[in-house]
Amino acid sequence: MRSEPESTPREASRGQYSRLVLRVIALGACAFLGASDALAHCFVGSRFFPATLATDDPCVADEMSLPTIAVFNNGDNPSAREVDISGDFSKRITENFGISIGETWTHLAPPGGPNANGFQNLDTAFQYQLLKDAPHELALLAGVVVEWGGTGAAQVGAERFSRITPTFFFGKGFGDLPDSTGWVRAFAVTGQVGYSIPSSASTTEVDPDTGEISVTPNPQLLVYGGTLQYSMPYLKSNIVDLGLPDFLNHLIPIVEAQFTTPVANNSGLPWVTTGTVNPGAIWVGNYFQVGVEAIIPINRASGTGVGVLAQLHLYLDDMFPTTIGKPLFGTAPPPQKPFP
Amino acid sequence: MRKITAIALLPVLFGTVPAHAHAFLDRAEPRVGSSVGTAPRQVSLWFTQNLEPAFSGAQVLDSAGARVDLGARVDPANRSLMRVSLKPLRPGSYKVYWRVLSVDTHTTEGSFSFHVGQ
Repeated sequence: MRSEPESTPREASRGQYSRLVLRVIALGACAFLGASDALAHCFVGSRFFPATLATDDPCVADEMSLPTIAVFNNGDNPSAREVDISGDFSKRITENFGISIGETWTHLAPPGGPNANGFQNLDTAFQYQLLKDAPHELALLAGVVVEWGGTGAAQVGAERFSRITPTFFFGKGFGDLPDSTGWVRAFAVTGQVGYSIPSSASTTEVDPDTGEISVTPNPQLLVYGGTLQYSMPYLKSNIVDLGLPDFLNHLIPIVEAQFTTPVANNSGLPWVTTGTVNPGAIWVGNYFQVGVEAIIPINRASGTGVGVLAQLHLYLDDMFPTTIGKPLFGTAPPPQKPFP
Repeated sequence: MRKITAIALLPVLFGTVPAHAHAFLDRAEPRVGSSVGTAPRQVSLWFTQNLEPAFSGAQVLDSAGARVDLGARVDPANRSLMRVSLKPLRPGSYKVYWRVLSVDTHTTEGSFSFHVGQ
């Protein structure tokens, strides 16, 4: 699930979980033929970065999140109960270039009603793998996230303008620390920072009752977040096998955080940072992973109470390695005999 | 409902789900991070998937970085098992490096230490 910028703090908490997800294969385009191992989803040396729920992992991949379900009280005043059900499909075009498409269906239940339902704007992302440094468990990714304005329903907050968000992603595992640091080596961090630019500087609305015209600026936003994660699979296979139950050896406890801060063109609107902190865990299997997190808003503008976020994520490269699980164009370098 | 139906049909559209995936290290003997009183004659690595023998290997180094293994090979009778023969080991710390190709062409790698002696 991808965090996306929203136009106002009021809508930020809604949008942070209302991202889609139905990814489609994009044909044509692109010719970024690079050289990386045939690792597919996010392996970097000994490190596996799981797909995270509220932010994005630092790799291009063939994968699908379906469904992602978020239930929380949003930042509206009064706060509305919101349910977001989303899907996201990511496809590698080449080894290092990938596209994703996502969509979210939203149900809003404000106190006293009436309820509202509808789809959010369509989201797409175009991402390029800048680096996978295996010895240092370091991954760098650059991308452009586009929210297509006017493709969603206004009654659930979808804007009529688009947003373009150049974003930088990174992931770093600590397995390259000295062996003497022991279990600390199973920690990893990921992060992302993007600058969201609206396609229209302002939105003009006419009150249907009074005919009064209002012009609201569409702010430019800094969209950022990250994760701190502890890999039990890494602990077992690279540091120490404690003989724990198999279920625990597949867990990655994680804390995610995501924030949105208006930085320009925000006159007349509150300069308030919105966001959430999400503690939870991801269970990693061979073909899929399941994640569950709490949603804790950082302030009133971000929501009220504690919500919940859950996701089923499929590794298409493992499920269908010879069809949709491989890049559309180009081939990975041939395997080599290790340790000659 | 249409989306759910479409997802359910994915295996039909793109072929049945094969029993292949990335090869993770399931367990090792000596155990990852363990101390053993007697020097082992080999290291055994069990993986979660079958391996391609031609592109899978391992080596064992002592604390000075000198190689102390005599070569690694995938067990022909159990292709998810790799055996690494060892020279006689003195008490000390050793590190096992492995890199394998699973039968679905995905490469994985890892390393771990074990200690000989009390």
